[in-house]
Amino acid sequence: SAGLPGDLPELEPECRSLLAAFAEGSAALTGCLGRRARPVRLCQGCHGHYRRLLAQYGSIARAVGNSSESHNCAKSILTSDRLQIVVTLSEFFNETWEAANCANCLKNNSEGLSNYTEEFLDLFNKSLTCFEHNLQGQAIDLSPNNYTEVCKNCNETYTKLNDLYNHLQKMNRQGGESAHSSHLCIDVEDAMNITRKLWSRTFNCSLPCSDTVPVIAVSSFILFLPIVFYLSSFLHSKQKKRILILPKRIQSNANLVNIQEKYS
Amino acid sequence: QLTPSSFLRIGQLSNVDLNEDIHELETEVPRQRPNEIPHNEKLLSLKYESLDYDNSENQLFLEEERRINHAAFRTVEIKRWVICAMIGILTGLVACFIDIVVENLAGLKYRVVKDNIDKFTAKGGLSFSLLLWATLNASVVMVGSLIVAFIEPVAAGSGIPQIKCYLNGVKIPHVVRLKTLVIKVCGVILSVVGGLAVGKEGPMIHSGSVIAAGISQGRSTSLKRDFKIFEYFRRDTEKRDFVSAGAAAGVSAAFGAPVGGVLFSLEEGASFWNQFLTWRIFFASMISTFTLNSVLSVYHGNAWDLSSPGLINFGRFDSEKMGYTIQEIPIFIFMGVVGGILGALFNALNYWLTMFRIRYIHRPCLQVVEAMLVAAVTATVGFVMIYCSRDCQPIQGSSVAYPLQLFCADGEYNSMATAFFNTPEKSVVNLFHDPPGSYNPMTLGMFTLMYFFLACWTYGLTVSAGVFIPSLLIGAAWGRLFGISLSYLTKGSIWADPGKYALMGAAAQLGGIVRMTLSLTVIMMEATGNVTYGFPIMLVLMTAKIVGDYFVEGLYDMHIQLQSVPFLHWEAPVTSHSLTARAGCSVGPSHEGWLQCGTLTHATLLQVAGLRGLILRSQLIVLLKHKVFVERANLSLVQRRLKLKDFRDAYPRFPPIQSIHVSQDERECMIDLSEFMNPSPYTVPQEASLPRVFKLFRALGLRHLVVVDNRNEVVGMVTRKDLARYRLGKEGLEELSLAQT
Repeated sequence: SAGLPGDLPELEPECRSLLAAFAEGSAALTGCLGRRARPVRLCQGCHGHYRRLLAQYGSIARAVGNSSESHNCAKSILTSDRLQIVVTLSEFFNETWEAANCANCLKNNSEGLSNYTEEFLDLFNKSLTCFEHNLQGQAIDLSPNNYTEVCKNCNETYTKLNDLYNHLQKMNRQGGESAHSSHLCIDVEDAMNITRKLWSRTFNCSLPCSDTVPVIAVSSFILFLPIVFYLSSFLHSKQKKRILILPKRIQSNANLVNIQEKYS
Repeated sequence: QLTPSSFLRIGQLSNVDLNEDIHELETEVPRQRPNEIPHNEKLLSLKYESLDYDNSENQLFLEEERRINHAAFRTVEIKRWVICAMIGILTGLVACFIDIVVENLAGLKYRVVKDNIDKFTAKGGLSFSLLLWATLNASVVMVGSLIVAFIEPVAAGSGIPQIKCYLNGVKIPHVVRLKTLVIKVCGVILSVVGGLAVGKEGPMIHSGSVIAAGISQGRSTSLKRDFKIFEYFRRDTEKRDFVSAGAAAGVSAAFGAPVGGVLFSLEEGASFWNQFLTWRIFFASMISTFTLNSVLSVYHGNAWDLSSPGLINFGRFDSEKMGYTIQEIPIFIFMGVVGGILGALFNALNYWLTMFRIRYIHRPCLQVVEAMLVAAVTATVGFVMIYCSRDCQPIQGSSVAYPLQLFCADGEYNSMATAFFNTPEKSVVNLFHDPPGSYNPMTLGMFTLMYFFLACWTYGLTVSAGVFIPSLLIGAAWGRLFGISLSYLTKGSIWADPGKYALMGAAAQLGGIVRMTLSLTVIMMEATGNVTYGFPIMLVLMTAKIVGDYFVEGLYDMHIQLQSVPFLHWEAPVTSHSLTARAGCSVGPSHEGWLQCGTLTHATLLQVAGLRGLILRSQLIVLLKHKVFVERANLSLVQRRLKLKDFRDAYPRFPPIQSIHVSQDERECMIDLSEFMNPSPYTVPQEASLPRVFKLFRALGLRHLVVVDNRNEVVGMVTRKDLARYRLGKEGLEELSLAQT
């Protein structure tokens, strides 16, 4: 339809192909995000889609041209109407990616997972395997006594996983202060959360409350000291007395008001 | 003119007792009164003297006024403004110093204890952590208490009672010295780091006042350096004005409330107020909060952020999220009643404790031991509560600086620890702003109870510490509990936001304990940054004050009474009109030609056929020191004439009489007092009633008020003690006894 001049009502052919590529990329990324929503695997699985989409949006935005009407795709696609769908979609994907903080577990060039993340996921899989292995042949809703096997055998793996997670958190806090999110990437956080819930809530493997007797003994001793102190100062200290002074006054026989003298 | 009556023979002076002791006060009332009684609050101590705001308009003063021209007076006015600016800047800097040092030292202590607890949770042996925490607390507080008890006892407590007395006109010894400032600042840092249930905001007021008193004199008597500037201001009158500015700057730096600071000074020293003073004081407080804000912003890394106007920052109270409706006003008033009752309970318990301390724990080493024990018990109570609490909450962001996991599951932290392991300021802010559901009611209730008794026990120890923050924390805790129960009762209505009730509870509790009305309302309004909260806060504070006053006095007034300070209230007791000046004044032995009055070893009246003048002891001492004898002038021994500067140089610490040497020959000499005496002291007829005398005395800030009969012959002299001894007690007008303390 080359009936009307310029890019109205249809876009230029180059801009049309850019828009179509963007639409396909968005659909693919949305599908990937939805599929990897629970358990959260989206940083691992969707980083390729995201990178491609970024590139497509970049090529639209860059196609500014130089005031010649033919190659001004950015203006005609992005800012020609009130709704600005393309901009909204792109912002949504960017914000979601920032909120997930996937940059934290990807390599610098965003082309794969970092070493720490690989190590963590490896330990995570090992822990899950250990749990399954020790629960083989038993139903999950048996009495908690049967979880002592799991707690004993998988303790080492779990501790390693926990330590690695704390280490990652500490590094993250030191790395950037305010310009940086205080969370790790969502995959890692969610994996740790699942493991912790299994360990503490389902298997109930937390630390027992120890040391009750020494704590009670020491605290009773310390709490008893002030009583001793106050009693001894009451009994042994000389009470501070005040010497009254009576000043000389003119004895007036006029009607003085009834003043009440108080001795305590 | 040299009239014979104004000569004072030195020899005759030696018959008159110029000693410090009150020998000439003889007991002659024939009543069986015990001379020694245990300490109680119905005594007035003789060691407190009045500040003297009355200007002695002797001939020297008139000469000086003739000499200074108009331009010089304008320079004086400019100097006043410069001094106020310097007061603001220095107070802000001192507040910054305290804040930064406390943050670092307390952070260090918490890190050490937290690492220790984390280590021993897995291994076992948590009792060692308890011992470590208690020992750390006790040792830090020991140092803090030692410096206060042995070096400068007047730096104990929050300093607000002492500054109230100073603004009232009582000269408390050592209250505005440099040594006091140093001890106070170090003491407050050590008390807060030592984990006591105290705050660091109250001592800022005292520090600000000392800074003001020091700068305005242009010299340091302790360091023996005279910078030879600001010599015009070396008088009680000027010093008092600057001390009010200093107190306002202190409040402003503590709470980020400049107008609240001005009103605090106004509330305490209203009798001498004028417009220029208000403007200058406001200037000083604004500069103080601005200095604190900018230095702290630079320190935290984002300069010109200007988000910390005071040592405590209540956070933003948004009207949209935390609005209130008119139906909640009765609820707030009820909270005020509760706050008043709890405050009265706090004050009553503290009263008995302070009485016990004054009577039995008066040796410094005992006081230090007591402070150490309180610190150790505070640590123990905190540890035991954390240990026994099974309440675990997942951490949200970085709202807790030192989260303790203890026996909770991974990823969750002990919520009792977030209450005890935080500085009280942060806990208060958390209670105001945390979303609903962050606190377990049982945890909060136990914490409130324990902290109430700890704070009550801690106030009155021989450490530098304030009571504002503990009261706010107690109130915020039970206020939040109240809000939580309210939203539970109304099945989760949106308007029962617990943070808003925490704020009202905090105001109610603070009002119930300290009973400050106007200044506290404005301070809280400015600290929350929201004027719409002013109305309910005012209602709450008024209710708390009315309810609390029915039972017992405010905490500061109670401590002033327990220290036997002759404090003058705003008005005389209402039923005292039948007391006359004649009945109330003091008389002393008279010698030929003049009358020296009783309790006043510091003033002598000169009368021959009527009152001629009044001369102060301090002036006599300066005269004796410079040997201003008539005979020497006649012999034209080269002697420069004494000027007002010589009297000002000797102010404020006049040499004691023992250091003046008068030889045998000199005892026969005479001094001409006509140039130096105050020829027109304020007088009052002997039939004047007590309230009239009181009003004159208080409004003018006098130290002596002469009582004369209808022939202008002196009958006696009224001083502060004579007025302060009449008080309205529970059963009517009562008279306090004087005692030596």
